[in-house]
Amino acid sequence: MATDAATAASAAVRGRARRQREEELLVWPDLVFIEFISALVFTLMFVLLSIAINSPLQDRANPANTPNPSKAPWYFLNLQELLLHMNPALAGVIVPTVALIAIGAIPYYDNSHEGQGEWLSTPGAGRLVKLGAFVGTFGSIALILWDAAKHVQVYQLIFGKGSWPASLNWFKSARDFQAWLDTSAYSPIPEGLRRIPLGDYLLRTDLLGLTEKPIDLTVNIPGLIVEQIIPVTLMVGLPILLSVFAWRIGWAKTRRDHMILQFSGFLAVYFLLTIVGTAFRGRGMELYWPWDNPPVIT
Amino acid sequence: MATSERPESRGLGDRIYDLVFHSVLWQSIFRSGYPNTPRNQMLAIATNVFLHLHPTRIHRTHVKITHTFCLGGLSFFLFIGLTITGVLLMFYYVPSVERAYQDLQNIQTNVRFGFLMRNMHRWMAHGMVLMVLLHMMRVFYTGAYKPPREFNWIVGVVLLVLTLLLSFTGYLLPWDELSLWAITVGTNMVGSAPILGPPQQFVLIGGFEVGPAALVRFYTLHVIGFPLLAATFMTVHFWRIRRDGGLARPL
Ligand code: HEM
Repeated sequence: MATDAATAASAAVRGRARRQREEELLVWPDLVFIEFISALVFTLMFVLLSIAINSPLQDRANPANTPNPSKAPWYFLNLQELLLHMNPALAGVIVPTVALIAIGAIPYYDNSHEGQGEWLSTPGAGRLVKLGAFVGTFGSIALILWDAAKHVQVYQLIFGKGSWPASLNWFKSARDFQAWLDTSAYSPIPEGLRRIPLGDYLLRTDLLGLTEKPIDLTVNIPGLIVEQIIPVTLMVGLPILLSVFAWRIGWAKTRRDHMILQFSGFLAVYFLLTIVGTAFRGRGMELYWPWDNPPVIT
Repeated sequence: MATSERPESRGLGDRIYDLVFHSVLWQSIFRSGYPNTPRNQMLAIATNVFLHLHPTRIHRTHVKITHTFCLGGLSFFLFIGLTITGVLLMFYYVPSVERAYQDLQNIQTNVRFGFLMRNMHRWMAHGMVLMVLLHMMRVFYTGAYKPPREFNWIVGVVLLVLTLLLSFTGYLLPWDELSLWAITVGTNMVGSAPILGPPQQFVLIGGFEVGPAALVRFYTLHVIGFPLLAATFMTVHFWRIRRDGGLARPL
């Protein structure tokens, strides 16, 4: 019995090897040809593009005058967009670092072999991509519009200019919420707990030739809540909620399913933030439609 | 090998064929005859140091354009293109605050094909960032990161970061308003890191603000540091693709 199974298996393996040989092509010419053609087409495309469109060269750099808005290269504008909504260390360093580590960790979490080597071949993969992309796109749009107090403008369009219930002042935007926590008589944080002094810390930056500057460790509790705790809660909580939702409705069953959902959501947020940062942010990094974005002041 | 590579009747074409492909010179360079038989076709790949990146045979489905859309290959191709146009631009560019901007203007107006080279370099740089992102998406959605390719996925993530850094360091070199402020905004992000941010930013730009030291640092990283690193990681990336048994395939 055991030998039978072994013989059958080895026959199957040998058969597979033979079948695979038949499925194989010679790299020369079949692959080398495609590579050659695509290199040629791409060279031609870039030559034509470079003849048609010149790269920008503005005035010589002048450290004394800061253009408004000042923007990073487009692939970092997603981070610059995040910077508007949360603590700079979080947006500029921690989020990208954690995101890269999380992306690198994908294969160690989703280490099954299913759906390998073919486009979206696990069952239901397509709808998970759509769900992730939809939630990522519209979730980010909603949050950005909220933080720009666009819902206040809608309210005022309906109830008249300048109207907004004072009891809802905390709901205007993240900054207003922070100010409310910090100064309002209704703030849930007792006055004595709004700043927690922890003294100074001296970092030996003199070793680098920098002047030593004590770092003030005072904790600003309303700032901590609005700039760090809430954004982290949203950035961690919303994806988890999405995964739980997809699992409850039976769409996401395996780790691969969850990864497809999360990665698609991430890509949607990434591209949306890049687009908003590139095309929809104008003077003072306010939101503008691309077509009435005022020119950069230099 | 039993099959003869030599045609039966010998016309003028055959004589030329012999003269070229069986000449001492040709054979000393390529070691195998013209790749018109399976044996020579495999030898063409196996005996050539550049083509040897490939296996000699490859599975049918991987040759289909819609499997990879050539995205990894195109990222690599753009890297080569950027190296070539970049070297040409280096002939005319001095990374000093006094000269950089002037050199750029000079490249655009006085150097023959200078503007074309600058444009190619810039558009290819944007293109490469885009291609690498798309390549990552294709690898993800074809599930090609799964074991045994987990580590190559990480090498890929490193390559993505290097691609962004290459592009970012190059952004400063024209020394115009756009580059200065983009780099200022970007490096300020580094400076905002908790505790270690300010000293890191200081080391990165060699001062408190983006100035001459930053220009030299970015230039050096841009033309030698990051390209070498990227080339090294690409070597590992390609080597691992072969070691992991070629491209991923359904089990
Ligand atoms: C400079 C950047 C890069 C270059 C030049 C490059 C090049 C390549 C090439 C030529 C291939 C062969 C198949 C193909 O063309 O798709 C490949 C495959 C692969 N790449 Fe990249 N790549 C880069 C970045 C990345 C990134 C950012 C990732 C992922 C995070 C990645 C992960 C992989 C994996 C896992 C494979 C194997 C795919 C399979 O087995 O089907 N690479 N890469």
